Amino acid sequence: MENIIQTKLAHLTFKSPVFTASGTYGYADEYDDFLDVSEIGAIVTKAISLKPREGNKHTRIIETQAGMINSIGLENLGIEGFLEKKLPVLRAKNIDFIMNIAGSSMEEYALLGEICSQNNIKAIELNVSCPNVKSGCLEFGVSADSLYNLVSKVRENYDGFLIVKLTPNVTSIEELALACKRAGADCISAINTLKGLEVKFELVNGKFRKTKVQGGYSGVGIQPVALSMVNRIRQAVDLPIIGMGGIYTLEDMLKFFAVGADAIQIGTANFTYPDIAKKLQDELREYIIKNNFKDLDDLKNKIRTCFNEQ
Amino acid sequence: MAEHKKIHKGIVKNLKKCSKDIYLLELESETSFVSTAGQFISIFCERTLRRPFSIYQNDGNTVSVLFREIGKGTKYLTSLKENDIVDFSGPFGNGFEIKNKRALLIGAGAGVAPVSYLKTELEKRGIESLLISGFRDKDDIPSCLNSDFIVTDDGSNGIKSNVIDFARLKVKEFNPEIIYSCGPLIVLKKSSELAKELGIEAQVSMEKVMACSIGVCRGCVIDVIKEGQVQNASVCKDGPVFKGSEVVWKI
Ligand SMILES: Cc1cc2nc3c(=O)[nH]c(=O)nc-3n(C[C@H](O)[C@H](O)[C@H](O)COP(=O)(O)OP(=O)(O)OC[C@H]3O[C@@H](n4cnc5c(N)ncnc54)[C@H](O)[C@@H]3O)c2cc1C
Ligand SMILES: Cc1cc2nc3c(=O)[nH]c(=O)nc-3n(C[C@H](O)[C@H](O)[C@H](O)COP(=O)(O)O)c2cc1C
Ligand code: FES
Repeated sequence: MENIIQTKLAHLTFKSPVFTASGTYGYADEYDDFLDVSEIGAIVTKAISLKPREGNKHTRIIETQAGMINSIGLENLGIEGFLEKKLPVLRAKNIDFIMNIAGSSMEEYALLGEICSQNNIKAIELNVSCPNVKSGCLEFGVSADSLYNLVSKVRENYDGFLIVKLTPNVTSIEELALACKRAGADCISAINTLKGLEVKFELVNGKFRKTKVQGGYSGVGIQPVALSMVNRIRQAVDLPIIGMGGIYTLEDMLKFFAVGADAIQIGTANFTYPDIAKKLQDELREYIIKNNFKDLDDLKNKIRTCFNEQ
Repeated sequence: MAEHKKIHKGIVKNLKKCSKDIYLLELESETSFVSTAGQFISIFCERTLRRPFSIYQNDGNTVSVLFREIGKGTKYLTSLKENDIVDFSGPFGNGFEIKNKRALLIGAGAGVAPVSYLKTELEKRGIESLLISGFRDKDDIPSCLNSDFIVTDDGSNGIKSNVIDFARLKVKEFNPEIIYSCGPLIVLKKSSELAKELGIEAQVSMEKVMACSIGVCRGCVIDVIKEGQVQNASVCKDGPVFKGSEVVWKI
């Protein structure tokens, strides 16, 4: 049977445009208790660094009015652990995946890219919201020059599908998207979390107590920012875009397609609705059939045309 | 294909106010599941994150939790009506490891839920146990509770003590071989200290704010000591029950 939601991003084909976002889905089959992970378009792994990381010590998550803030600190099992323990599971279960990678220096990113090439990892997503230890901890993804250098360096060492995940915490997302394109990226994903802070107070025997988390803001509240960013990237470059930020429903997903996304990722919503990726994928398919679109591309074209009309 | 059986629809069979702000919620689950004492379910409370609650009772069809109303999520639960449908997931976590040992059970506040469940499980196996539970005052004591001793901070129910001091009094005659506890962090820490003094094992049920409940987000990690090294452990998947001697106490 023809797969009407098949999705092409440049030369790579996925069985659906619904992916799950890094840091919200583990590394492999962790959601198998809720759905058949191999049916999803692709999962994006938790960020993987060269060496295992312990992550942050303080309180790591807090709920906000319309989402959550996390300060996990990239706790992960390191690339060796991933290759040894998780990659075999992904391959045995036929799960399509994208490896999210994070480094603390250009060299580390380059080496990670090289290791991914050697292990035939089809697609990687560069998390560039990491502090560059050498440049006084400024994030790689906030300046066009440093991003260009980083992506070029990885490109030299990695021959698979190279996705760069942009951070929204910048002035000109267009410049960064252009830098990715010039450096040879195949695709852009956006957005990573916004910088945020939440604090809750409790008054105990006349004294205030607080719970505070400062870190990455995600969930439903960031959706308008994400839509705007994706749209601006769409206007700046002609690379495929994977959009994300507060997606919970079919309607949300369609909005992302309208503003220019070719595929989407679901993040925070997985925590609340652990089977959501499968549900949205099924709903999308049904919507296409019910409304007599030819396929997903047809739907995307029509909704985009409508969005772009004056 | 794997069986996808960790999301459930529960029909509210009973929501009972058992004390000033502790409630019993009984859900008839469309899908039955087995659980062990100390495991928890995560209930969708019309907020971004699900709220974790220890299982209080589970007979396969009806699962119940005993919860304290403290914020928006638990307020949603107290607004439920009979026959409303609740979305919950689980069971998650490891649960208490049952050993054939005379067991002292300590529960404070809503923390009494999993140790009370454990008491039933121990009784089924013919293992002797003593449950001591502690509350703020007499209005805080859940009416549905089946506990051997109940103490209150202000003595308004007759026994003025905190659970730990009272447990100390009782260990002489009861002579426990293991301690299981659930409640505020300080109670867990003191239970572990008591067990250490007695040269016996303590199992404590930890709490942390959770997002995923299945070990992937790394939001709920605590420090534990394993093989002489401080390591991360997730409360949701590696726990919520830990050996008291393994926990790095941050209090
Ligand atoms: C494994 C586990 C088992 C639990 N079992 C029970 C139980 O049997 N009965 C019961 O009454 N409570 C239990 N809790 C605590 C319960 O999850 C929280 O009371 C509940 O999430 C509060 O939600 P709220 O929206 O009403 O409060 P909020 O408005 O979210 O917060 C009020 C207070 O509760 C704390 N809190 C919020 N979310 C959590 C959370 N996920 N875990 C712990 N504290 C939290 C906040 O820090 C704050 O101080 C358990 C927690 C865990 C981790
Ligand atoms: C707990 C948590 C951990 C995350 N970890 C990563 C990560 O390791 N790498 C990364 O690129 N993005 C990470 N993200 C960002 C998400 O992948 C996503 O970009 C963001 O949450 C926005 O989407 P959402 O609103 O659907 O969650 C994380 C997000 C959350 C909530
Ligand atoms: S709640 Fe996500 S790891 Fe425990």
